[in-house]
Amino acid sequence: MSKQERIKILYVDDEINNLHGFKASFRLDYNVFIANNTVEATDILNNHPDIRVIFCDQRMPDKTGVEFFGEIRVPHPHPVRMLLTGYTDIESVIDAINMGHIFRYIKKPWTDADIRSAVDEGNKFYLANSMLAIKNEELQKAYTELDKFAYSVTHDMRGPLLSILGAVDVAQNINDIGEIREMLGLMEASVKKLDSFIQNIHDYYNLKRGELHITDIDFAKVINDQEDIYGITAKMNNINFKTNVQQNEVFRCDEMSMKVILNNLLSNAFKYQRKNNETKFVELNVHTDKGMAHIQVKDNGIGIHENHIGEIFNMFFRATSEEVGSGFGLYNVKDALLKLNGEIKVDSVVDGGTTFNVAIPSK
Amino acid sequence: MTQDKLNFIVIDDSKLDCFIAEKIIRNTGMSDDVKSFTDAREALAYIKNKPTGSANKTVLIVDIQMPVMNGFEFIEALEQLPQNVQNDYLVYVLSSSINENDLNRVRSYKSVKHFLNKPLNSNTLTALLLIV
Repeated sequence: MSKQERIKILYVDDEINNLHGFKASFRLDYNVFIANNTVEATDILNNHPDIRVIFCDQRMPDKTGVEFFGEIRVPHPHPVRMLLTGYTDIESVIDAINMGHIFRYIKKPWTDADIRSAVDEGNKFYLANSMLAIKNEELQKAYTELDKFAYSVTHDMRGPLLSILGAVDVAQNINDIGEIREMLGLMEASVKKLDSFIQNIHDYYNLKRGELHITDIDFAKVINDQEDIYGITAKMNNINFKTNVQQNEVFRCDEMSMKVILNNLLSNAFKYQRKNNETKFVELNVHTDKGMAHIQVKDNGIGIHENHIGEIFNMFFRATSEEVGSGFGLYNVKDALLKLNGEIKVDSVVDGGTTFNVAIPSK
Repeated sequence: MTQDKLNFIVIDDSKLDCFIAEKIIRNTGMSDDVKSFTDAREALAYIKNKPTGSANKTVLIVDIQMPVMNGFEFIEALEQLPQNVQNDYLVYVLSSSINENDLNRVRSYKSVKHFLNKPLNSNTLTALLLIV
């Protein structure tokens, strides 16, 4: 283990000789802090909140070890507390253990083996507890997302359905075939919107719950697939779709996450074009360099207002009513990049266009 | 109904919903003036620039969940306009939302006359016009 990774432990004792003996015995195995009194010990704890195990002598002139542990328990709940004591104090130790102030006690004089086993056990307990705290935090986040999710499902799934329902009702009383056709076109858009929302939910769950399947990525093939998907859209909307790939090295990544990223960035680039622009383009550039893939998706579309740039990666955020969107796409992109340890940057000018730059390390 | 014809403004980010609302309103024969906006900011700009004190009231039908400016923000902005401007409008909220918080929030606005469930249909609209 490197110096930074050694477990931090604190030893509190009023006898200087004990402190030095302790430090001499364990300084190679642990990152040892020593304190001569409880005031000093509290200072050290405040400056090193990542101390994992505290040993404290029971009999000290200013206060007992049990009292000290009782005090620090609330402000410093994470470090595992161990009391060092002789047999005479056993009653108070039992009380302290039962009150939950102390994880374990070690009788004096201690042996090196006692301390090592105590640090091992304490560290396991510390890790299990921190893991629990992390899991709790994740759970809290999942609940918050679930709330948002339930809310949006009523809007994003019910919305298009109710639109179609309303349209069917109106169409019952229309005889003009031209008008009916117009409505069918709008209904089609509603169905597509619903379908893309469901696909996005599918992506969302794959990203959240799915494992990464790391394989060699052939960018030429990946880009080819994207050209197949967007070629028709490009032609129909008169958008020049330029792609450029330079891959000189092996790149390993999860293909599914890769696709989510490319798909969403490209579909946005194609979607948010300026209707009257004569020279619409979407550009996709990929190059690999020193174990990194750099992906650039560039368009000269409507752009994103600077007030909204900070929010575009939030779930269900939409910066425009121009086109049909679920507010899910870029959130999924960010999520996928988080899993791949990638980064994304965006530059945008309103009515000038948007450029997304993505960097992903090879696995 | 002996009253003068009403004007209508529909604000909804879904083009289909605007289309449906326009169609249903025109079919009632009670209005020839129906405008729709997919961006609430444009609707607000239109209202600000329109001369006040028109003989006919304008019914505003507003969706809640819209990008950029949502229905709540629109209503709050509308309530900031001078009273004589506000007097020209009757505000109705039309939404697919079944969320209690949304409904309570709609009820809290004094300018909102009623909450309507999507989809809008001719029966609802006729009933609404009778109350007007």
